[in-house]
Amino acid sequence: MQFSGVTGEWNNSFKTNVMSVIEIQQLTKTYRETLVPVHAVNGIDLKFEKGEFTAIVGPSGCGKTTLLNLMGGIDRPTSGQILVEKVDITQLTASQLVDFRLYNIGFIFQSFNLIPVLTVEENVGFVMELQHRQREEITARIQYLLTAMGIAEKTKLRPKYLSGGQQQRVAVARALAAKPKFILADEPTANLDSKSTNTLLNLMASLNEKEQVTFIFSTHDQRVMDKARRIITLEDGKVISDTSVKHSHAEAQN
Amino acid sequence: MLIRIAWRNVWRNKTRSLVIIIAVVVGLWGGVFSDAFMQGMTEQQIYSTIHTETGHIQLNQPGFLQNFDLQKRITNADSLVAILKTNPAVAGAAAIVRVTAMATTASSSAGIMVNGIQPSDQQVVSNLSQLLVQGDYFKSNRANEAVIGQQLADKLHVKLKSRIVLTLQTVSGDLVYGAFKVAGIYRTHDSDFDQQMFFVRNQDLQALIDFPPAAASVITVLLHQSDDTEPMAASLQEQFPDLQVQSWVQLAPMLQAMSGTMLQFSLIFVGVILIALAFGIINTMLMAVLDRTREIGMLLSIGMRPAKVFGMIMLETIFLSLTGAIIGVLVSVASISWFGQHGIDLSIVAEGFNALGYSSKVYPSLGADFYLILTCMVIGIAVVAGLFPARRAIRLKPAEAVRGE
Repeated sequence: MQFSGVTGEWNNSFKTNVMSVIEIQQLTKTYRETLVPVHAVNGIDLKFEKGEFTAIVGPSGCGKTTLLNLMGGIDRPTSGQILVEKVDITQLTASQLVDFRLYNIGFIFQSFNLIPVLTVEENVGFVMELQHRQREEITARIQYLLTAMGIAEKTKLRPKYLSGGQQQRVAVARALAAKPKFILADEPTANLDSKSTNTLLNLMASLNEKEQVTFIFSTHDQRVMDKARRIITLEDGKVISDTSVKHSHAEAQN
Repeated sequence: MLIRIAWRNVWRNKTRSLVIIIAVVVGLWGGVFSDAFMQGMTEQQIYSTIHTETGHIQLNQPGFLQNFDLQKRITNADSLVAILKTNPAVAGAAAIVRVTAMATTASSSAGIMVNGIQPSDQQVVSNLSQLLVQGDYFKSNRANEAVIGQQLADKLHVKLKSRIVLTLQTVSGDLVYGAFKVAGIYRTHDSDFDQQMFFVRNQDLQALIDFPPAAASVITVLLHQSDDTEPMAASLQEQFPDLQVQSWVQLAPMLQAMSGTMLQFSLIFVGVILIALAFGIINTMLMAVLDRTREIGMLLSIGMRPAKVFGMIMLETIFLSLTGAIIGVLVSVASISWFGQHGIDLSIVAEGFNALGYSSKVYPSLGADFYLILTCMVIGIAVVAGLFPARRAIRLKPAEAVRGE
């Protein structure tokens, strides 16, 4: 099975039958920069299905961010496998990993990480431009997402003229723009106030349902956990609980 | 997209970018203007040498210039001058009788070169008559008048109407004496010329040394276009195979050598300045990369190829340098053009300049080809300066960089 950087497609015959978007097997990441090796991720096995809205929680240093980095292909594990639609991304070359990230993952960062010299619409369309999509397609997608995010009137502004909550909405729109298979969000609400957090979570939950994109959060934020339909708790690099949560429709709206 | 981001990034930290842009502007202007100054000096020296001293082309008997032998003369000089004047490329031609002599006054003496000229012809091929500081240029019809340089006048302690006695050899080798009255005193930019060149009327000198009337030692030719010099010299040599035909390049080889090496020298000079500026550019771009660690980490994370990140930093460096270079070149062109018209007056140090053969009023000048080469050099330096910061950017580890580590 091969990944095509041009089309962003995995060349395999059984792709459509696979339900697990990501399957992690015996994943380990050990840092040996100190005298005592640190096992940031220690033999984790996990599966993520299409359309999940999952929160990975745990105390600081438990390995949440490291796990997300490994799943996103921006860090290499010490051992184990990360299968994305049955392709082990730990075996991809650096160049293949770049294409893998470009065509499969949307990233949302704690500190927004927008490009300050680009306008809101340019930021949202950036990944699609990297994918060399048609201009009409990019424009339509930007309009749809910014409208869905409630910031359609801010398209021509640069990020510095937006509030923190608005900036994070732009970041979410950027992550979703190229219709990735899954979105990795590292503490996305850490820098937001309560109102902005609720707005953002509702928007993400809504888009998760509409677009069936898998969302995986690392978070400390109880409000995120309250919205999540699955909560994975890490401690010392290990999964200590993995719970499915059922929300009523009213809860989800709140 | 890459170009748009790179250009906007240049203006992201305006103060930092402006500091380096101003450094490039000032550095380039300093280098370019100095080069234009030197180039202008050289060109002026060439112009003055041609229009005051040598003309574009000289004809003489082979060997005459070795010891100024009066026997080695052009016998039919007058008819040759007449033929040359009919050539449309020729602005003027003049016959000169040239002989070495000793000039003596009551208080001093000096070795000189006496030039017997026909003033009306000589005025066309030489601008000496416009360089008089005292007296006039053979206006009266009085016999035995002389026009001499200021330096010689000072050396011999003479002024207008003073009498100078010349001791010279006749054509047959006998010593003769002749007294000449100073009618005019000139000053050129070349103190050697001013000290040695002594001008008298042709017929006065011919009579004194028994030189045949229609003959001359040298024929000086001034052309309308300097570019015609070499083809015309070759053509005249073919036309008059018994004579030695030399262009100003052969008569003043040092000038030609200076002119030829000036461009290379200028480029080396500006190159050194650009290399110094490159370190400033590297520093600025390294700071820019350091400030944007998180952003570059994000770009690498979301799937921007390292080659594109590399290209973005390179473009930023090139834009930053080119902005400074374009402004620097515009400032240089404007100042060189202004001073090229009005000149830079260095009369306060005129003596030193004249001793070296340069005019004390310098008109800076620089060819268009220099600016083209300069632009290429700036782009080259910018590319080299951008390599290190760009390499630094793509070596960032995305997972660490997005956290600003």
